[in-house]
Formats: sequence, structure tokens, C-alpha cells
Amino acid sequence: MKAIRQYYDLVAMQMNSMRGDNVFIAILQVALSLGLVVGMGYLIPNISKPTAMFLVTGTATQAFVTTGLVMLPQMLSQAKADGRLEYFLTLPISREGYLLSQITMVAITSFPAVFFTVIFGAWHYDLSFSVNPGFALVMVLCVLSLAGVGVAMAMYIREPTVVNAVTQLIIFYVLFFSPVLLPAAQLPPALQFTSKLAPPTYAADGVRATLTDLPGTNLGKDLVLMSGFAAGSIALSAFAIRRRG
Amino acid sequence: MALNAGAEPVLEIENLVKRYRNGTLANDGISLALRPGETYGLLGPNGAGKTTLVRQVLGVLRPTSGSITLDGRDLISDPGFARQSIGFLPQGQFDLQSLRVAELIEYAARLRGASRADAARRRDDLVAMLDLGEFRNTSMHSASGGVRRLAGFAAAIATPCRLLVLDEPTNDIDPIRRQVVWNTIAELGRQGATVLLVTHNLAEAERFIDRLAIMDGGRIVREGTPASLRTLVTERLRLEMTLTGAVTPHPALLAENADEGIYLFEQRDLMAISGWLNAAREAGLLADFRIGPPSLDDIYTAAVARPRELEAAS
Repeated sequence: MKAIRQYYDLVAMQMNSMRGDNVFIAILQVALSLGLVVGMGYLIPNISKPTAMFLVTGTATQAFVTTGLVMLPQMLSQAKADGRLEYFLTLPISREGYLLSQITMVAITSFPAVFFTVIFGAWHYDLSFSVNPGFALVMVLCVLSLAGVGVAMAMYIREPTVVNAVTQLIIFYVLFFSPVLLPAAQLPPALQFTSKLAPPTYAADGVRATLTDLPGTNLGKDLVLMSGFAAGSIALSAFAIRRRG
Repeated sequence: MALNAGAEPVLEIENLVKRYRNGTLANDGISLALRPGETYGLLGPNGAGKTTLVRQVLGVLRPTSGSITLDGRDLISDPGFARQSIGFLPQGQFDLQSLRVAELIEYAARLRGASRADAARRRDDLVAMLDLGEFRNTSMHSASGGVRRLAGFAAAIATPCRLLVLDEPTNDIDPIRRQVVWNTIAELGRQGATVLLVTHNLAEAERFIDRLAIMDGGRIVREGTPASLRTLVTERLRLEMTLTGAVTPHPALLAENADEGIYLFEQRDLMAISGWLNAAREAGLLADFRIGPPSLDDIYTAAVARPRELEAAS
């Protein structure tokens, strides 16, 4: 009960400390996602419905990547550098609860973009999505696996500038070289291999498996691997945040 | 400051050594004991090892060897007890962005276990006590450095704690509110709180510190009450003067802070210095002067700076 109250207070404190930024981030996320849905469509004349579905679900996943694998590690790394993280570590709170509150912020700021991307994509390309019962679980695991890896990056990389550089690389990779927005079959073998090691691959596949009838998805594998990435990265982060120099 | 000399120490540190992985020896055999209700000052130049010591007391850094106990409980094996029992004001001005001053105090109380009603009550009390009323809805992002510091101080004392660790509590705070902070620290001491105070502001802290340790090179080089440490420089007097023109200082004057007209001199030179001061006044070059006992600044200089000068000279 105490842990739940602390978690609630930490999330509320984080929300209040970013009260203006959260709205801005959420709006920016929605705008970026809608922009991608429309803009990528210009690259593909006479876009087919399966391609449009692939694009829309990939863009929805991209929202999780932007917040969980880019913004969250940057913010946490900055918190580590300016002493904010250490201040929280001197409070009588659960360290895992603190990390979970950070991950919750990712969910809060990325869900609107996911929701609006799917709705807007369906309208723009005249698509019909059917929501699989596993969709909610996929959403939770998308957040936990991507934000979990983001938190681990922030915990283990010492310099904020390095974290910033790595996150830029990630966004570049996910946009242009991964099966999030491009079909795996169109990628060269080396990138097909690296995509197997990247959690966004399984997040995108899971979103596709639970929203579309696109062929080639494997929901069971996605759930297992996203759970693995989530559990592994959060365990590593918990170890790092508990370590005392 | 309710100093209880015979009582069991609240915080006891014995032979504490901290060597970082890069080989830096930050704390080298530190031993100290804080008694209930005591305000204990930790002084020293940058890099003396004060922050490393504090981080170990707070349980965020593991010592290489030695022991730290709080009320007899081992903080090294039980850092959770440190977090429950210690209120902490860090030195840095970290950015809590849009969080409002009153919210910070309330959340600090809640995260330290206060109920919603108690946290709200404590928030209102502290806002009034520290004269933060006009800033209660100011975001930390847009608050001045002094207001942020006061809010951090309020957050540190938002719930009763066994030990209060304050790192430069009055930095950036205006003189009136600074006095309020010192009075609050003194009041907390009277109520039985034990305070570990890290500061460079010796002149202000002097009135509120029961005992102090001067650290240098990871060691405690001097420890005692301000009065007892004055014996380090008993043979000296402190001269503070306001000059109105260029004057070559008397050869017996040792510059403490020449820009501000602060010098030390040996007591045996008192007559010579008096004569020199009279001559300077008659020449219209001296507006004002004051001769008195040495301050904590002087003790600090004697304990840290002078030995370094001698070491460099040799």
C-alpha cells in the first residue's frame, strides 16, 4: 500500500514538474506521428492498404521509440548529471518505484500519439483496424521494453552528451534502417540481423499483430521477447540504481 | 543548541576510508561523532572530501572501509535506515522545472511518509515560517536561486528527522531570509535535531555551530568548538579596515583578504600597528578600522591555507 502511494506521488510529482512540457511533448508527438503518416505516403504513390497499414502501425510504434528510447534516457541522464537523481535516491522511496514512475511518464506522453496516429491513419488511408484482445498487453510491453532499455542506457552511460548522441543514432536507425517503418524483407541481410536484436522490431510487430491482419507477424514471439527486454533492462537498471559507488 | 555532551552519539563515523575506483583517496581515516542536538560544521576547501563523506552518510556511496552508525544502527549495511532518518539539502541547484515551491515541500513530506493532511499542514507552516508566501505558486524553474534554496531547505525539514544534513544552506539567499534559515536551524537544534552542516560561510555559521571539523586532503585536520580552535591563532589579532587611499600595509600585517582590508597580526605587534593606523588616519587614508579576536575564517586559514603555503615554500 505504501509502495503504491509512493508510486502515485512520484508520478504526480513528475507530472507537475513537467506540467507545461508534458502537453507540449504530447502535442509534438501527435504532430510528428501524423506528419509521418501523411509525409511517408507522398513517397509511395497509389499506396496499397497493406502498405498503409504497415506505415500507420510503424508510425504508432515510433511514438513509443521517441519517448522511451530518446527522450526518457536524455532526461534521466540529465537528472543524473545535475544531482536530481541522487536527491531522489536520498529519499525513503523505492528505487524501482522511481524508475517505474519515469516509465509511466513515457506511457502518459506517448499514448495520445499512438491513439491519434491509428485513428488518423484509418481515416486518411481509409483503413479498418480490428483490435485484438492482446492489444492492451502489447501497449504495456511496448512501453516497458522500450522505456526499460532507455532507462538502462541512462543508468550505464556516464556522459549525457554520449546518451544524446546514442539516442540520435537510435532514432535514425529506427526511421530508416529497421522493420518499424520498412518491411524486413526489403532490408539487407546485415540490417535484418541487427533488427532481431532491437526491441522496436518486436514492438512494431506486436502492434501490427494486434491491430491488423498483415501476414508475417508473430504475436507470441513478440510478447516473449518484449517481456524479456523489459525484464532484463529493468533488472539491469535496478541493479545500477541500487549500486553505491 | 541543546548540546548533550554525555549522551550516546547520534551519528558516529569511525576510521572511514573512501577510495574511488580511479584510485583517488577522498576520505582517509575520518572519525567523528555527533551528539544529540548538536550542530556540527564541516569545513574545508573544494576537494577536501566533504561531499564524499556526506554521500556515504546518506547511503548513496559505499565506504571502502570504516563504519558509520546512526543511533547505533549500521548505515553501511542498512542504507535504507539512513534515507528514513536523514533530511538532506544538497548543494546543487537542480532543476525541478515546473514544480511549484509549495508542491516541492508537500511532495517531500509525502514521500517521507507524511499523510496527505499532515503534508499539507507542514507545507503551509514552512511557507509561513520561511516567508515564502509570495513564491508558493512560483515554479522552481522560474524561481530565483535563493527561493529555490529556501524551498529545498523547507523540503529537507518537511518531516521530523533524526539527523539533518545541510550542504551550504544559505547560498544565494538574501540576508534577511538567511537569518531566518539560521534561526530555524538553531530552533531545530533546540528541539533536539542533530545537524551536520557543510558550509563555506564561516562568519555566519560561527554563531550556530557547536563543534566543527576542518577537512583537507580527505582528512580531518582540526576538530573542536569554535572557541577551542581559536587557540590555533591566539597569538594573533584580526584587523578590519576601510582605506580611502593607497597605503602600503605595515610589514607586520599578514593579508587575510587584502581586497576587503582584512589582515592578521601578532599580538606583540599591537603597538606598532596602532601607531601605523593612527598615522594613516591622520594622513586621511583610513576611514575606519576594527581590531578583534580571530574569526573562524582565520582558524580555517591557519588550519588549511597556511600549512599549504609552508608546504609549497619548502
